[in-house]
Amino acid sequence: MTPTLLTVIALTLGGMMVAAGIAVLFIKDLLSAIIITGFVSLSASVLFLLMDAPDVAVTEASIGAVLATMIFLWGRGKIGDDG
Amino acid sequence: MIRTLGSLIILLALGAVAAAVIPDLQMHEELQETGYAYASRGMDDTGSSNLVTAVIVAYRGLDTLGEVVVLFCASTAVVLILTLYPIGLKASEPSRIVAFTAKILPAPILLFGVYFIAHSHISPGGGFPGGTVIASAFLLVMLGSSSVPDGRGRLPAIESLAGLSFGLLGFWGIMTVGQFLNNAFLGTGTPGTLVSAGLIPLISIAIGAKVASEFSGVFKAFRNTGGKI
Repeated sequence: MTPTLLTVIALTLGGMMVAAGIAVLFIKDLLSAIIITGFVSLSASVLFLLMDAPDVAVTEASIGAVLATMIFLWGRGKIGDDG
Repeated sequence: MIRTLGSLIILLALGAVAAAVIPDLQMHEELQETGYAYASRGMDDTGSSNLVTAVIVAYRGLDTLGEVVVLFCASTAVVLILTLYPIGLKASEPSRIVAFTAKILPAPILLFGVYFIAHSHISPGGGFPGGTVIASAFLLVMLGSSSVPDGRGRLPAIESLAGLSFGLLGFWGIMTVGQFLNNAFLGTGTPGTLVSAGLIPLISIAIGAKVASEFSGVFKAFRNTGGKI
């Protein structure tokens, strides 16, 4: 079975998401952790788009990558940089 | 470090469970009973050429109503907590780049959100995603200015009106054909045209307005009480 382009892209994105998710656990800088969390959401949104679910992709991009990231950033403003 | 290792161990355990279960999952090549009924009859029943919206708004309209109620409770709780216990930081002055972007980008984002809601029954879209897109446009507007105008009462008014109209549209079905959230009594029209699919566009607009005003209210509360980023 030869892998299709979709499989290759999905595996690449999935691997990056797993790597980013593990990186969030170990990273010390809070701002970097928040941005990486947003990146995971954005990759998930691209995956949804590739799997023919554009409406889910838009939801994931606007909620996961924009709104949730903003909430995290506000929370970081509350607890300060040292968190 | 112990907490990090603990999280990793939990993650690995979950992964092991998933790896054990996934090979036994049976994926059917063809649609099963309910899915087959939706896919084969959906367009004739509802007049919506977007089957996802037909399922969310028409067949499973009651679930969506419950979801809207859950979202209402959550956003009310967040705004209440932020009003009672303000974080106590003044909103920071936006940088020139953010201020400039916030003058240009919100308009196209807003247009896309409205399009997404209004065309949810003929192309990919829906009230919930469209509402969040509109809310993110307003978020950008808020980020681009150092103070958010108070405008007390307008956002909750839109929110209540949208929620109320969702319920009333459901009761309209009871009054006419005796079924809550019945979709077809308005006539389903020609699938693929803007004015079609019975109640679906109206309910989509109600959901979109409700979601957009709820998220905007949450962000306004955050921006007003703890704007430092």
